[in-house]
Amino acid sequence: MPLEDMPLPARTIDTSGQLCPFPIVETARAVKGLDAGAVLLVIATDPGIATDMPMWCKATRNEHLGTFRDGTAWKSFVRKQTR
Amino acid sequence: MKRQAKAIAMISGGLDSTLALALVRRQGVEVKAVNFYTGFCITETQRRKGGRPDGTIPRNEALRAAADLEVDIEYVDISGRGYFDMLVNPRWGYGANANPCVDCRVFMMRRAKEIMEAEGADFVFTGEVLGQRPKSQRRDTLRIVERESGLDGRLLRPLSAKLLAPTIPEQEGLVDRSLLEDISGRSRHRQMELAAQLGIADYPQPAGGCCYLTDENFARKFFDVLDAREARGEARRLEREDVLLLSTGRHFRLSPRAKLIVGRTEVENALLEHHVEGRARVEARDVLGPVALVEGVPTWEERVLAARIVARYGKGKDAPRVAVEWREGDLVEVYEVEPEHDEAKLEALRV
Repeated sequence: MPLEDMPLPARTIDTSGQLCPFPIVETARAVKGLDAGAVLLVIATDPGIATDMPMWCKATRNEHLGTFRDGTAWKSFVRKQTR
Repeated sequence: MKRQAKAIAMISGGLDSTLALALVRRQGVEVKAVNFYTGFCITETQRRKGGRPDGTIPRNEALRAAADLEVDIEYVDISGRGYFDMLVNPRWGYGANANPCVDCRVFMMRRAKEIMEAEGADFVFTGEVLGQRPKSQRRDTLRIVERESGLDGRLLRPLSAKLLAPTIPEQEGLVDRSLLEDISGRSRHRQMELAAQLGIADYPQPAGGCCYLTDENFARKFFDVLDAREARGEARRLEREDVLLLSTGRHFRLSPRAKLIVGRTEVENALLEHHVEGRARVEARDVLGPVALVEGVPTWEERVLAARIVARYGKGKDAPRVAVEWREGDLVEVYEVEPEHDEAKLEALRV
């Protein structure tokens, strides 16, 4: 699914400037506060986010909707697990 | 019917902790994985510096292991005052370099015990292998870690379990001891065979750890910081910023009062720019060259020497004179210096 088709996020966090593993730490914290099924948008400048986010989502059974390069940053969309 | 046990896995994502995770998971135990951030991980630092020389970004292996085995994972940041104080004053001493592995394990296991209790878990497990590491994985030190962390009887080492005393979860039947392993020693052949049996194909090549504290060059810089503070009459202590700077740039000890750090790459120059506050920023003015920082209170002679070294590592290294800008807050001075070419002198100053 392309970036323009991503669902509207319920919350956006900007982790720009933070490096491994803190974008994931912030993501975990933010997802905890979301309702099941809600979408989180994570903005990051750590290039590792492109591989970290799909793996974190698989481990935690959240849904990785997509991670996109956006200039010098990455935008990563995560849907909180519904169960 | 046996109730389902819950456990906390301490994982690095290396082969051993991945195998331990798989061994416990296949017994139906609910597992939560924990990875501790210390600030000394070589892979993390590589990623901070933009990846490997070939442009690839190293994987986060703990995340990879948790993802492959579908185990929930949490990162826990333990870098901070308590951890740094332990590093400076280890009760059980250092290994070959700045690595107080026994103290570090005790520190981590104490946190793991807190997490175990908060999560209502029954035990903690690790990928440690009896006899694999000369200091921290001997029978006596494994026992020290278990006792001193307060995890007595609740710290399982699945890869060597059959060679160690049965733990409480084994005695209670929450974990079947017969399905655990009896691996010992430094060879990884048994682990590789086990990985094949368990269908684990994707793991990093065993490389003897990923901690800067075990690195000889890093250790020299680590102890230099402590020794210089002591020589100035200050307490031997480590700050968070020290840790970030220790893995960045060339370090030159000008005196106990002053140290010069010279960036080696554009990425290091950019990293150093984040630590200008409270330090002098030094850079050649009219020619390309590294960003450098000077910590402490240098004498006039040390300022000139620092400027000469910075000039030496820039494009003006063969020029007779180079203008070097010395900036401290709003105060800017320019030193016209001859680049330092005395390699023996540079080596003597190099930490």
